[in-house]
Amino acid sequence: MPCDELPDNLKILWKEVGANPSMFSPDQLRRETNRLQAKRRRGQIVLVACMLFLAASYGLSFFLFPNTLARLGGTLTVIVCGYWLVHALMERARAAPDPGETDGLCYYRAELEHARDNHRWMSWRFPLLLGPFLLFDIGVAQIYARFSPFIVWFMCFDCVLLLVVLAVWAPVKHFRTARKYQDCIDALDTASGRGQAHRER
Amino acid sequence: MDRTETQDELYQKATQEYGAVLARMAYAYEADPDLRRDLSQEMHLALWRSLGKFNGRCSLRTWIYRVAHNVATSHVVRQVRGKRIASAFLTLEEAESQTGDEDVEISTDRNHALDRLFGLIQRLDPLDRQVIMAYLGDLDAESIAEITGLSTQNVWSKIHRIKNVLSRRFPRGGRNAL
Repeated sequence: MPCDELPDNLKILWKEVGANPSMFSPDQLRRETNRLQAKRRRGQIVLVACMLFLAASYGLSFFLFPNTLARLGGTLTVIVCGYWLVHALMERARAAPDPGETDGLCYYRAELEHARDNHRWMSWRFPLLLGPFLLFDIGVAQIYARFSPFIVWFMCFDCVLLLVVLAVWAPVKHFRTARKYQDCIDALDTASGRGQAHRER
Repeated sequence: MDRTETQDELYQKATQEYGAVLARMAYAYEADPDLRRDLSQEMHLALWRSLGKFNGRCSLRTWIYRVAHNVATSHVVRQVRGKRIASAFLTLEEAESQTGDEDVEISTDRNHALDRLFGLIQRLDPLDRQVIMAYLGDLDAESIAEITGLSTQNVWSKIHRIKNVLSRRFPRGGRNAL
């Protein structure tokens, strides 16, 4: 049954929009697809390069700082960086739902779930960096303490800063955002009556 | 005929018949002209890619609406990025209750009416946007249900609300001067 009673001329007005739509030829779209793929590859290379630089910098600490804690902290940081890198690459390779085969409700829910999972992941993985960074800082402070007490104070300040940012601020921020997304998913499920079906899956 | 050829032909057919629908959706989802151009291109790109998988199990129109809405939904979710998500969208129920005196004013200007219509749509939850745009595009409730994944009953209830919201904000007499 068509839904055509209301409001009288609004539909006509609506249909007047887009009278001259953008047109693309399949060749243009092919070129654009190639361009986007190249951009994506470049993005991955930059990401890997940044992570490798970070890992190499901390890896060097193994040779630069003759202290067990600094070496342990540096090594653990390299491991955590590798873990983040693998996650980031897997995330990029994630297959998104097909926009043509998925209805609006499932697609929207999948988008919200994806955003929620990302923030949840971040909320638990930031504290992972805390241990290695603290160990590294304490190790470096031990080495330089005999030269200048200022270094110790600076390292203490750094540790407090790391503690606040990595153990409190970042996890809380991401956890709250993830909860907001979850609220949106719950509201969507309630409105569509699909909540039970999704929970059972 | 190979797959690429079919895909290209289907795409050309789709844009000839439904190019205006895609343009309207881009307008309704994105207010910023630059971002709108990007969104429009993204829709066309996704449509062209997805037509390689089009199997005829639903109509071409349903397929196009789905692709365009889903791409636009991704765009909207990307735009709000977390911090404003909880308060970013308005549900139809909220839109109904928010109708104040200034909204009841009769529109005397065509562009003003369109701006208000797009302004309303751009504030709605993505799923409600899909329903309102499909409704304005003269789709029947069954087709809207197929596109959105909502039950037909749910679609009818949303259409009822949409009519309430639109009739309050755009009174019948107000369009005479448009």
